[in-house]
Amino acid sequence: MILRAVVEVVLVGVLTGLIGVQVVVRRLSFFTMALTHATFPGVVAASIIGVNLLVGGVLTGAVVALGVAALTRRRGQDAAAATGVLVSGGFALGAALVATQSGFSRDLSSFLVGSILTVSRSDLAATVGVLAVVALVLAVCARPLLFAGFDPAGARAAGVRTGGWDVLLLLTIVLVVVTVVPAVGTILALSLIVAPAAAARLWSARLPVMTGLAVLFGVASGLAGLYVSAHWNVAAGASISLAATAVLTVSWTLRRLVRAVPA
Amino acid sequence: MATAALRLTGVSVGYQGRPVVTGVDLELRPGQRLALVGPNGAGKSTLIKAVLGLADILTGAATVLDQEPARARSHTGYVPQTGNLDPDFPVSVRQVVMMGRYRQLGWWRPARATDRQAVATALDRVGLTDRARDRFGLLSGGQRQRALLARAIVARPRLLLLDEPFNGVDAVSQDAIVRVLRELSADGTAIVLSTHDLTVARDLADLVCLVNGRQWAVGTPGETLTAGPLRQTYAHAALDLADGRMVLVEP
Amino acid sequence: MIEPFAVPFMGRALTEIALLALICGPVSVFVFVRRLSFVSDALTHTVFPGVVIGFVAGGIEGLFAGALVAGLLTAVVLTVLTRAARLTDDAATAVVLTAMFSIGVVLVSRRTSYTSDLTAFLFGRLLTVTPRQIAETAVLAAVILVALAIGARAWLFRAFDPAGAAAAGLRVGWLDLWLNVLLALVVVAAVRAVGTILVVALLVVPAAAARMITARPAVMALAGTGLVLVAGYAGLLLSWTASLRYGVALTSASAVVLMLVLAYLLLLPVRRWRDRSFAGGLT
Repeated sequence: MILRAVVEVVLVGVLTGLIGVQVVVRRLSFFTMALTHATFPGVVAASIIGVNLLVGGVLTGAVVALGVAALTRRRGQDAAAATGVLVSGGFALGAALVATQSGFSRDLSSFLVGSILTVSRSDLAATVGVLAVVALVLAVCARPLLFAGFDPAGARAAGVRTGGWDVLLLLTIVLVVVTVVPAVGTILALSLIVAPAAAARLWSARLPVMTGLAVLFGVASGLAGLYVSAHWNVAAGASISLAATAVLTVSWTLRRLVRAVPA
Repeated sequence: MATAALRLTGVSVGYQGRPVVTGVDLELRPGQRLALVGPNGAGKSTLIKAVLGLADILTGAATVLDQEPARARSHTGYVPQTGNLDPDFPVSVRQVVMMGRYRQLGWWRPARATDRQAVATALDRVGLTDRARDRFGLLSGGQRQRALLARAIVARPRLLLLDEPFNGVDAVSQDAIVRVLRELSADGTAIVLSTHDLTVARDLADLVCLVNGRQWAVGTPGETLTAGPLRQTYAHAALDLADGRMVLVEP
Repeated sequence: MIEPFAVPFMGRALTEIALLALICGPVSVFVFVRRLSFVSDALTHTVFPGVVIGFVAGGIEGLFAGALVAGLLTAVVLTVLTRAARLTDDAATAVVLTAMFSIGVVLVSRRTSYTSDLTAFLFGRLLTVTPRQIAETAVLAAVILVALAIGARAWLFRAFDPAGAAAAGLRVGWLDLWLNVLLALVVVAAVRAVGTILVVALLVVPAAAARMITARPAVMALAGTGLVLVAGYAGLLLSWTASLRYGVALTSASAVVLMLVLAYLLLLPVRRWRDRSFAGGLT
């Protein structure tokens, strides 16, 4: 059981490190947070129906992702507000679904903050599968994602279908968020996705290096958090999330002290 | 030679059915340089974007390199304003210029020596060889503009469109850009640039189009950059001084 | 349709929502124009550890103080981090949000009644709001409305034209800080009664929905307040019916939020229609 938790944590660390780089570089943290709230009702519904959680989460997450992508074509204020609306709406819907089942409170917690120690074999298999898919997508689509991420207008003028690539990326983020739910829950998934990559960005401005560091920090946070959780008997998901934050804080402080080379 | 790099007849452009500029009639031949001149908010950017397919052509006929605008994309280059680009984005100058080669490279094929050479040549033309490895965001406004120009020319476009390329650009960069534009047009590339700097328009352009919500005039700098047409175009922003001179306020 | 509210606790719940409507209608306009949805959401998550610490240290009374400290701390930290750059503001907000929330979860997980505390924090206890809490909310509403009356012009100027505001002598950094502090106050005031989910909805949805029918800030604020009142009434009625007639323990907070979001979705087509009809000009 502990071994499964360790393996899951390592896999999740790699997965979130990889996607985290895209999230940080394209400033998608808010959107990712909205996604974590949006996948919530899907995950709950799937659990009630008895279907694989991944499926339910991906469905509602995809709906929100596409909705936000469509709304982002409008002015920035509307996009930010729309995302906020979807966040509260998604969460309330999930809570409403939970309310229709009595005795669901325990599961509510595990959706929100994870329960890595009860990770199952099928969860592990799912994580491996998703990791393979995401790694492949990010490797193969590196160029269009880079161009569209850096200069959408220029990319579109050059014939790149930025809309399509954006949707692909958003759906990939949805997939990662949902996969990570058993480990750290929906709310804390955000910290594993954002913090290691943000820390990596402080150390390097070259994407390959940044990606490597993000993966390293992600895995380290996972292992450290698991250790602290086992040792001091505190919630695992939260410990992992705090470990990731600690890595970022230390990096930020060190970088301000060591202002040698601008990254 | 009836080929036109750009031909717009009775064109109005805008977004989602709402027109931003109307009544555009102009023809640009290969090797000619056209300056779109008008105050802020006149719609110059929108017009350029419409030629690129980034805004809608609502009425009229438009051909780019004698084809439908959508078909001509692979031979059209675009140099956007640098203001919208995230300076923290982890990408180097060389990588930015390489983006101009993506169309030829496709998404998967690794860059070969010929590609790297093309990028190096483009960087050299704009004078950024020594900044190639630096992060794009570390460059000054003028240097960034030059990098984007290199990105556009690495694909050898036959029509090049630049949106306010001299905005907030230092003198060195401006000279480099002007020099490259002259070289390109000597090679047969048609050039369209928007500017509110009348001096640049007068010195650089073969053709000037005055734009402010609609096309007010088109012709040589000598015909268009004169009191009458300018006053019409700039409307409230033009002040007549008592001694017969005119001042343009808030271009 | 009225009898449920004759029951005292329902009447109190409606009063609390009405007071929050007064506060959140105007405040959400600022959240909208300054795109502070993320910050608002962050504040609701970061208040969590403060609530826990306050409760552990000082019981029910300590809750408010703990939340207040945490909220104000977040407001300051976020303002500072986003001006120090290097860390993009959205990444900073995300990390602060999850870090504080994690601290709260860690603290709470050491107690046995883990899950019910979490639920109460998220969804509040609207139906158990006491007359004293209503009074406290009323006082806070008065304070916040006065603060808004004083600061509205400056905040709006800064929102629409930061460069112009700075040139006119307004200290943008301080304005941002004060607005964040105000937000923290609203969050802290409301969280106790209605939980974090509803607070975020109250801060974000009213203005977003009102924007569908108007672009003028004052009208947006009024429309927003109206929307919250209607949604509050409908939501309470819904959760009452659900639990009495169908045995579904739908929290009133969730029901109110769902009504608000429904209003937003129903108004979306109105916006499209308006955009099409008024080509050009102020919409």
